[in-house]
Amino acid sequence: MDQTLSGFGTVFVFLVLGIVFVAGGYLTARMLRPSRPNPEKNSTYECGEPAVGSAWVKFNIRFYVVALIFIIFDVEVVFLYPWATVFKPLGPFALVEVLIFAGILALGLIYAWVKGDLDWVRPTPNIPKMPEMPNRRIGKANG
Amino acid sequence: MFEMPSGAEIQSIISILKGGAGFFVPEIYLSALFMVLIILDLVTGRKNARFLAAVTIAGLVGSLYYIFKQQAMPDTEFFFGMYALDRFGIFFKYFFVASGILAVLLTVIDDQLKKHESGMGEYYALLVAMVVGMMMMASSTDLLMMFLAMELVSLSAYAMTGYLKRDPRSSEAALKYLVYGAVSSGMLLYGFSLLYGMTAQTNLTRIAMVLAAHGYDPLVMIMAVLLIMAGLGYKMGAVPFHFWSPDVYEGAPTPVTAYLSVGSKAAGFAMLMRFFFVAVPHGMDMYVSPLHIDWLMILMLVSAASMIYGNVVAIWQKNVKRLLAYSSIAHAGYLLLGIITMDQLGTQSVLVYLASYLLMNYGAFYVVILIANRTGSENLDDYRGLGKKMPLAGAALTVFLISLVGLPPTFGFIGKLMIFSALLSKGSLFMWLALIGILTSVISLYYYMLIPLNMYLRESERPEEGVVETGMGAKLVTATLMILTLYFGLFFQPIANYAKYSSVLFGAFLN
Amino acid sequence: MLTEQLLSIGVNHFLTISVILFALGMFAVMTRKNAIVILMGVELILNAANINFLTFSKYNGGMEGVMFSLFVIVLAAAEAAVALAIVINIFKTFKTVDVSSVDTLKE
Repeated sequence: MDQTLSGFGTVFVFLVLGIVFVAGGYLTARMLRPSRPNPEKNSTYECGEPAVGSAWVKFNIRFYVVALIFIIFDVEVVFLYPWATVFKPLGPFALVEVLIFAGILALGLIYAWVKGDLDWVRPTPNIPKMPEMPNRRIGKANG
Repeated sequence: MFEMPSGAEIQSIISILKGGAGFFVPEIYLSALFMVLIILDLVTGRKNARFLAAVTIAGLVGSLYYIFKQQAMPDTEFFFGMYALDRFGIFFKYFFVASGILAVLLTVIDDQLKKHESGMGEYYALLVAMVVGMMMMASSTDLLMMFLAMELVSLSAYAMTGYLKRDPRSSEAALKYLVYGAVSSGMLLYGFSLLYGMTAQTNLTRIAMVLAAHGYDPLVMIMAVLLIMAGLGYKMGAVPFHFWSPDVYEGAPTPVTAYLSVGSKAAGFAMLMRFFFVAVPHGMDMYVSPLHIDWLMILMLVSAASMIYGNVVAIWQKNVKRLLAYSSIAHAGYLLLGIITMDQLGTQSVLVYLASYLLMNYGAFYVVILIANRTGSENLDDYRGLGKKMPLAGAALTVFLISLVGLPPTFGFIGKLMIFSALLSKGSLFMWLALIGILTSVISLYYYMLIPLNMYLRESERPEEGVVETGMGAKLVTATLMILTLYFGLFFQPIANYAKYSSVLFGAFLN
Repeated sequence: MLTEQLLSIGVNHFLTISVILFALGMFAVMTRKNAIVILMGVELILNAANINFLTFSKYNGGMEGVMFSLFVIVLAAAEAAVALAIVINIFKTFKTVDVSSVDTLKE
């Protein structure tokens, strides 16, 4: 074998470097940090909120509807990118073609919009009744 | 790897694209119609179903003019070999527009869809999108274009099948159609990728040239052909890719069932013919031995299995839509017989058979809808005594069913006769297939005739009802379809001639 | 010679991965009951084909394979959109996405 790395060699070096990088980080942290665990610390971090329930909850179905519409406009870029690379030499012809393409997609968006598929209907909140709510009253008074 | 083309090259690319658009007018026109329908649905109010239906029919009839203008154009391939304009494609363009118009006529009378609460706007737009997709399936000469066209048809069809959102049967049918469809289109794509790997080409004619010049690995070839067959067989509804069809046909709204059973099936056949006749033709001297077993044998087995399975299982069906689903599997088998012959006579007979299938199958479903509107069900038992209550519909359904069996003096008889004579003109090689075909036709006589038997010879449980009126328009459509089925059964020469004229595929050498 | 062939990444390695992906996809489609998982299996099949197209495009020359895979990506997204819409509808109607329990249409 000659001096240059084969394809697998490159992958291997990447692999080793990746492992070293991550493992090194953990190792240094472990050596430096004091170890004083408590239940608060061990709980899952959820943006500072106390974690409620299991992570395997069913998401609200409306998220999927928005995701559906998002997908279409997400992959649109796949066609716009090649167009953008050859836009200059192709000139106005390509511009018109892409405008037709984007126009059809926009029509789809308008359709979804007018038909009300983009409306985010808030569910009627089901707040459990509490015996007294001093905080809430204060909040209202303040504004 | 990729070099920016020079200015002159770009100018030539643009001029090729512009020139190609001239051969692409019907498709562009129908795509515009699709968008017009969506916009109209947005600007008109809730109760716009009839208006949209009228616009759809007018638009589809208008497209016939552009297709007619294409008849004067020479056979050609354009858009860098992506797409072909030939007589074969033009025949199918007429066919698909006709099937679209008939599907609208079926939709207008269907009570189930009439009650659909969230409007019919998408429905007609999807219907037109499917017409475009089917046209492109029949005319594409490139693997990429074939795949895209097929997906356009599939995606519209999934949505149309599940159009009755509140009806669990419709939703279930859509799910089943989707699952089978997605898997089989994935298999088709994998087959395409193998074919592309063997030839480094995506154009069908060039694939054939590379295969002929450089040879190929028979094992990879048979893998690719099997995978592609899976995708196409799904569209055609042939055994063993038929699992979806009984459930989907039963659950889908009846007009959609009719549309799928005629339109998308015919599109599958058109694509199959173009693919197998052009890309992997057999019968040329240089590769008789490997290719001879290859796909012809596969098609023969699929055809025999479809005829036997479809006709035998149909015997036990109690639901008329399900019965027609199994019969449509059987018809896929008969149609394949015409393709197996690989000659112009066979192609002509397939086209004639499809034309007859268009009339008789839409006719049968039309009457099924009329009856379902009255009785609220498609069960065979509920057809009792209907012959007296709905005289015209009963007579028409009998004619359509006789035609589906393939008895004279109907159009269906002509179709079957031409297919069998094309098959037998090839000598004794296909004798066993012809025998299976004729024997299973006899079986089909039994289950088709159960319907008229129930209608005329058995008494209804509710005899007090008098004659049921179906409305003037419905009567007119029923009568027209019935008369056409009978008329072409006697005077079939013009259609046969046109089919013969149309059995010319771009890049295919049929003897 | 043999070691060199094994050690440098060539067309066979890509094809092997693609076949493995295809087989995994088919496996998921055939054994799983959850509609979403089946659709994920289909995505695997499509991406296996994509790998094939890109590999052949790289080793045979020509841009057709690249173009093909671009279109397949977009189509996979469109198919996923339609599929998810249908599955959501199924969930609303049947309260499950289990394919084997959504089975009322039977003779």
